[in-house]
Amino acid sequence: MAPLLELQDFHYYYGNIHTVKGINMKVDEGEMVTIIGANGAGKTTTLQAISGLKEAKGIRGKILFNGKEIQGLSGHRIAAMGLCQVLEGRHVFSKLTVEENLMTGAYLRKDTKNIKDDLKDIYRRFPRLEERRTQLAGTLSGGEQQMLAIGRALINKPKMMLLDEPSLGLAPVIIKEVFKAIREINKEGVTVLFVEQNSKIALNTANRGYVMQVGEVAMEGYCKDLLEDEEVKKAYLGG
Amino acid sequence: MRMLIQLIITGLALGGVYSLISMGYSLIYKASGLMTFAQGDILTVGAFLGLTFYRFLKLPYIVALLLTMAVAFIIGFLLEKGVIRKLLNKNVNAIYIVLATIAVSYIFQNGAQAIWSSKVEYFPSVFSTDSVAVLGVNVQPESLLCIGASMICMILLHFFMTKTRIGTSMRAAAMDSMAAESCGINVSLNTGITWGIAAGIAAIGGIFIGPMYGVYVTLGSKLGTKGFAGAVMGGYGNMYGAMVGGLLLGLLETLVAGYISSELRNLFAYIILIIFLFVKPTGIFNEQAIQDV
Ligand SMILES: Nc1ncnc2c1ncn2[C@@H]1O[C@H](COP(=O)(O)OP(=O)(O)OP(=O)(O)O)[C@@H](O)[C@H]1O
Ligand SMILES: [Mg+2]
Repeated sequence: MAPLLELQDFHYYYGNIHTVKGINMKVDEGEMVTIIGANGAGKTTTLQAISGLKEAKGIRGKILFNGKEIQGLSGHRIAAMGLCQVLEGRHVFSKLTVEENLMTGAYLRKDTKNIKDDLKDIYRRFPRLEERRTQLAGTLSGGEQQMLAIGRALINKPKMMLLDEPSLGLAPVIIKEVFKAIREINKEGVTVLFVEQNSKIALNTANRGYVMQVGEVAMEGYCKDLLEDEEVKKAYLGG
Repeated sequence: MRMLIQLIITGLALGGVYSLISMGYSLIYKASGLMTFAQGDILTVGAFLGLTFYRFLKLPYIVALLLTMAVAFIIGFLLEKGVIRKLLNKNVNAIYIVLATIAVSYIFQNGAQAIWSSKVEYFPSVFSTDSVAVLGVNVQPESLLCIGASMICMILLHFFMTKTRIGTSMRAAAMDSMAAESCGINVSLNTGITWGIAAGIAAIGGIFIGPMYGVYVTLGSKLGTKGFAGAVMGGYGNMYGAMVGGLLLGLLETLVAGYISSELRNLFAYIILIIFLFVKPTGIFNEQAIQDV
């Protein structure tokens, strides 16, 4: 079966700067895959280019989602195909309430009748959000904002969710909670590709992983093998 | 007392029109991070369009109003798509885009002169009587219409922006365009709609004020700078601030004109603008015009 998401010889240029230098990746339906790598490796660039959030003119190569070429499409069209991203740094709408944020996530939904139920479902998953329904999102804690950002992507009923550094700036207990939710979402049938600085939790959560180094894929494989790899241990798992 | 009531009504009518312009400035600033100089001249175009539909084509007033709004919406939308977005895509400095809006403003002015007239055209009255009594004072019914209609516009805009899906998506896109796009919102279309709405409400301001001031080519450019001042007073970029700032400015300058001297009207308005810029740049609604991250 063809993969759900595939990058074929994908490059990204910021002007003349060649940032991502020809990478190949694939994610099968139902999988949970991670990309790890140092600061500036090009992880965010890759993820945002997939979602149509980077200028199209910087892209070379092919991005296939669900069998269709999507490189160069604008972000809202890619979101409409069921490929949703939880952005690095969360990007909640700070002056909208929690519930308005979630409703904005449901912007594309045609089946408006069912949105109420899905809202309940998200509140069941993240009870802290329900308590804060009418609070402005900008006043939430970092962890709550991350949950909101995940909920906002989830309510669009994506086939596939991309997450960019979900652990960024969060306390260990909150990181656990967030990753538990991501695992559940994957179990419920959403294909997941996430970028993480926290390599340990990333490799212990995903099935497969890619290691990016200065714009290239340096290594790839099953997480259990990457966890045993000497180079990975030395460079990303603290020895 | 009679004079005070008279002045308050005239002031609120004028202020209502300022508010309609101010709200456009604020909506555009929020959506695009830009200042446009064309708002006032869109009011002029609106006034001439209204004149055409109502006086020349003899359409019912409400039809003329809606048609004007629709045409102005299209003008505003095309302005964003055809000029602003094109320049933004070239990555030019924001100041060039603002300069482009100055060019557009003169194109509207001179276009209106070429298409319609360089004289002051009278806008036929909307009601059969030319005065009604309010609290024992005779006022022009159009000024009441102006107050009522601009209030209704504000309330409708409030509900549109806060209670509808598209309105909420517009606010979201103004706050964080990348996140909005990732939620499936077509941010570029949204921005065009925002410019369209800003043009639509400015244009009907032209219809409301036409019967009181007449319709002429520079009608809007004067009102436009006052609308800008109102937006600053309220808190630039804040929709509610724009409403309050516009109304307040109209009221205050009319009171100054009535009680002190009508010569001082404009002087007073612009001194207030400068004072606000120095003392309270965030305006009455404390809006941070520089975006907080
Ligand atoms: N808009 C931009 N213009 C020019 N260069 C950029 C731009 N955005 C990112 N870069 C550069 O591209 C490279 C890759 O950045 P990217 O954000 O993709 O890295 P990353 O792997 O996500 O890093 P981090 O782990 O710090 O988030 C960096 O060198 C960065 O400075
Ligand atoms: Mg990154």
